[in-house]
Order: sequence, then structure tokens, then C-alpha cells
Amino acid sequence: MAKGFDVRRLPGFASVALLTIALLYVPIVILVVFSFNDSISQSQWAGFSMRWYETAMNNATVRDVSIRSLWLAGVSAGFATVLATLAALGTTRVGRFPGQTMIYALINQPLMVPEIVTGIALLIVVAFVKVQTGYTGMGYMVLAHTAFCIPFAYLPIRARLETLDPNLEIAAADLYAGPVRAFWHITLPLLVPGIMAGFMLGFVTSLDTVVITEFVKSAGQETLPTYMLGQIRRSTTPEMNAVATLFLLLSLVFVTAFFLITRKRG
Amino acid sequence: MSAEIEISGLSKVFGQGAGAFHALSGIYLTIETGEFFTLLGPSGCGKTTLLRMIAGFEQPTAGTLRINGEEVAGKGPNARPVNTVFQNYALFPHMSVRDNIGFGLKMLGRPRAEVAATVDEMLRLVRMEAMATRKPSELSGGQQQRVALARALAPRPRVLLLDEPLSALDLKLRKEMQSELKRLQVETGITFVFVTHDQEEALTMSDRIAVMNAGRILQLGTPHEIYNTPSDRFVAGFIGDTNVLSLAVASSGVDGVTLAVPGAGTLPAASLDGLTLLVGQTVTAVVRPEQARLCPLAEADLTATLEQTVFFGTDTHLHLRLADGQGFILRRQNAADEVDPAPGDRLGLRLARGALRVLRD
Repeated sequence: MAKGFDVRRLPGFASVALLTIALLYVPIVILVVFSFNDSISQSQWAGFSMRWYETAMNNATVRDVSIRSLWLAGVSAGFATVLATLAALGTTRVGRFPGQTMIYALINQPLMVPEIVTGIALLIVVAFVKVQTGYTGMGYMVLAHTAFCIPFAYLPIRARLETLDPNLEIAAADLYAGPVRAFWHITLPLLVPGIMAGFMLGFVTSLDTVVITEFVKSAGQETLPTYMLGQIRRSTTPEMNAVATLFLLLSLVFVTAFFLITRKRG
Repeated sequence: MSAEIEISGLSKVFGQGAGAFHALSGIYLTIETGEFFTLLGPSGCGKTTLLRMIAGFEQPTAGTLRINGEEVAGKGPNARPVNTVFQNYALFPHMSVRDNIGFGLKMLGRPRAEVAATVDEMLRLVRMEAMATRKPSELSGGQQQRVALARALAPRPRVLLLDEPLSALDLKLRKEMQSELKRLQVETGITFVFVTHDQEEALTMSDRIAVMNAGRILQLGTPHEIYNTPSDRFVAGFIGDTNVLSLAVASSGVDGVTLAVPGAGTLPAASLDGLTLLVGQTVTAVVRPEQARLCPLAEADLTATLEQTVFFGTDTHLHLRLADGQGFILRRQNAADEVDPAPGDRLGLRLARGALRVLRD
């Protein structure tokens, strides 16, 4: 192989690289380490202990908000995945039509509009509907999270659809399958990895969002992130480190699953 | 024999206005039942568009298309007794070989036992019994090709459409699959409509060939007719090698045409029916390279100077220059006891009777 440009030979490259990695991971490592600290201090190490995990596990509020977060993420990501699948089909399995790029941009809007703007907009709408209807249930949260998750679910599904050979659907039609059966027997099974990846990305996004939830939630609708935010505002205890570590673990599981699903394709 | 496919005044225009592209213009064509019919032409000639219209993947802009006497224009591909073998095979990657082959019958709602029996029969027919449980990604190109054939044949279509199915295979495998295809066609008795740009493939496999260019059928005939009596310059040039000469008409009458050959008097030439030729007019005439042979100068129909020889193994091409400067290639089969002439030699050529043909331009 010809000796080309190798960025590693640039002076200072290694130090910049190390600094970047440190910036990314040192705070997380500290957070995880101090979740095992046998003291309430966030700076003085007093030996290994699981006591903060015990405290967190026995905290009924932590349990409640965690269950709410998981439920909300599951339901919202589910809806978002269905809608994103339809959107992906509608933008790839049709002839070119005017405004196609516009629609693509519109679907991806939440990726580009600042979350705070979406949050405030939702707040105004939700407040209005609440006054008009008197309904204060989880419906608003599900709607808001679903809308917010759609582009995250859309991206991997669309990417998968674009790699599918359109001749497969034509071949199915040629072999006497009508449009519905061609979709059911051919397109959908081949789309499953994309759909699963889309669901997971949507799930993690919903699990993680603070801003949208803060603006939309009614009383008693704390999710795990907004609860943690509230706790930390008052005082930082290693209990939140423990909760955050568990949260991190869950996210890692999903991200790893996402990676494995998108990498393994026919 | 009866007509399987009747195409009448079929046109296809893509786009509109100034940018419109006429993929097919006024095609008239009848394909007989049980025929191995080939659409041959360069890429962009409209042969694939025509195939896709028979399959139902494209709808015609104008004209009628009947399959087994029934008008099918407007019907989708799932409502036509026609199956396709795709250029890239388009096997369903998430299904086993068995499920791929059985898909059409399953969609037709045939009983499970019948599907299984037909799939077994098809696996035998294409010699893929051992691969029944494999996924397409675990098969070689040639094996995928066989599965694609079996999948398209399993529902017993009236017509099998093949869209350049051999173009992705290497030469040796392609030769094998050519005879395999011919065998399948004879064994099943199904009408095959085969699209290719490979003239040799077309000549060896077809009962009849339609040569296409620029959205039109230029000539329709058996491989012999297409090769020996091409109707125009394009067909002559596209099918096999040919020498194209510009020659003047020396005489034209009821007993035939003679052409003036530079430095050698006149030669009788075959001509197309209905072509009006005036004495003195310059016309296009063709001679196949294998229809000329070397002879002593005294007996020669025409004479030429040798410029170079190109060796091809079984034969040698002699690149010659006629007295008036026109190029001429002569193909000579190699024999151990013959000595090739040397460049610069003046050689006498003799043409087979009927070898010189006047063409429409």
C-alpha cells in the first residue's frame, strides 16, 4: 500500500485525541465511581458500597417515575414507529412527486428545530386543550413524545427501505401477490431490522428527553429525567449517581442492540 | 401453432412535451405458442420496455396487447399468466429456496400438498434438490439463476419472460445456462420471450428473433434469416461481423442486379424485394467475412492488398484494402498445412454465390 497521509503523524494529534476522549468519558466515569461511594460526599472517596443503589431501589418515587418513563417510552416509540414506517413507505415507494424534498425536511423537523421551541409550542397547545376539555391525563405526554420520536424512528427505517431492491416487490407482484400481500410477505419481513432499530432509537429518545416532558407534564407525571433534575436542584446525593448509572446501563443496552440489529443485515 | 402474444400498434412514451422519450413506437408483433422468441438489440433500444409491458410492470401509451387472446392492457402483473426471470434474479432474501419457488403457487391459493409437489418437481427440473433449504445468499450466481428460473416456472405460466438473465454470469457458466434454458423450454413447452443484447446468445437459442433499435423492430425472422438476409445496415452490423461496402449499380433488371467492383468488373448481387435500384446509383452492400475466400488472381471476383493478419485461434482475420481504398475483412479457418500470406501481398478473393447483398440504408 502506498504511504498516504496519516493523521497520526501530525504533531499534537495524540494529545488532542486523548483530551477529547477524556472530555467525553471522565465525567461519566466519575459519576459511576461515586455511585459506589460509601459516603454522601461527591469528592471524598470513603470506600466501596452498594448503599446508594439500595436507597434508590427502596425509593418508591424512583420506582414510580422509572415505570412511567419506560411505559411512556414504549408507547410513544411504538406509535412513532408505526407512523415513521408509513412515512418511510410514503417517501420511498412512490414515484417522484413535487415537494418530495420538502416533505422529507418536514418529517425531520424535530431534529432541526430547537427542543425548547418545540417545548414551548407544545405547552401553549396543551394548555389550551386542557382548558377546553378538562382532560389532564397522560395523553398529552404520549402525543408529544410520539411526535418528537418520529424522525428518530424514521431515519433507520428509511435507510433500510432504500437498500431494499425494488425488484423484490415487482417480483412478488409478478408471482400473483396483490399490493397488500406483497407488502406483508416481502417488504415487511425485510423491513423488520429497520423497524426494530427505529423503535429503539425512538425509545431511547423518549426515555432521555427532559425539555419536552417539562413543558407538557401535568401534576404527578414526573418521568425519571425530570425527577432527577428536580432532585439535583435541591442537593446532589450519590443516590442520583446510582440512578443515573442504572439509566446509563439501560441506554447502553439499547444502543448496543440498535448497533447489532443495524449491522446484521441480509 | 397459435398466437400466444399479439401486440398491435404498441407505443410507450416516457415524460411529456419536449423532453418526452419514445421508448417504443408502433410495435406490431405476434409470438407463437411454445416458441423461443428473442428480443435483440443494443441497450436503450426498447427491448426491456417491451418485456416489462408484456409482464405488466409498465402500461402502454397506445396500442393493444393480447395474451392467449385476452386483452391485458390495464391489468397488473399479478393478473397475467406470465412470469419473469429478472436480470438480478430478485430472489426473496429472507426465504429458503423452497419458499422462493413455492411463492407464486402460494399466492395463487393452491393447496399445500400441491405446492410441495410442484416445488419438488421444479427442484428436480433445475437440479437444485440438494439446496432446497438454503437461503439465496448461500448460493452461487449460477445456482441463484436456477432458483429464479424454477420460481418463475412453478406456477406454469403461459409465457416466461427472461430479462437478460445470463448477463451476470461468467462465460463458461453462461454457455451452460444457454443449453439449460433451451432444454427447459423444450421440456416445459412454455413460450419463452428472451431479452438480450448478445447476438450470439440470440442466434444459438432462438426459434425467432426480433432485432430492435430506437424503439422499433427492424427485422423479424429465424436466426438463419436474420444472419443470412439482414434487411438493413443496422441489422447486418449488429448480428455478427460484416463488411459494409459502397458500390455503384452496374445493371438492374428482371434477372437481378450487378454491382461495379473496383478493379474487377461487375458482380451479381442479391437484393431486397421492392428495393428500386438505378444504374449508376451508389448503394450499400454487405459481405460476411466468412463468405469470401482466397483464390488465384486469375479466377478472382475481386482483388485486394493484405494489410495485416489477426490470429483468433480457430480462424484468422485478414485485413485487406480494395483497389478503391475500401477496407475488407476475410475470415479464414486455420488449417495446419496453410501458410498465411504476408502483408503487402496482392490477393484474389472469391465470394460465395449470394454473399454480396444490397441493403436498405
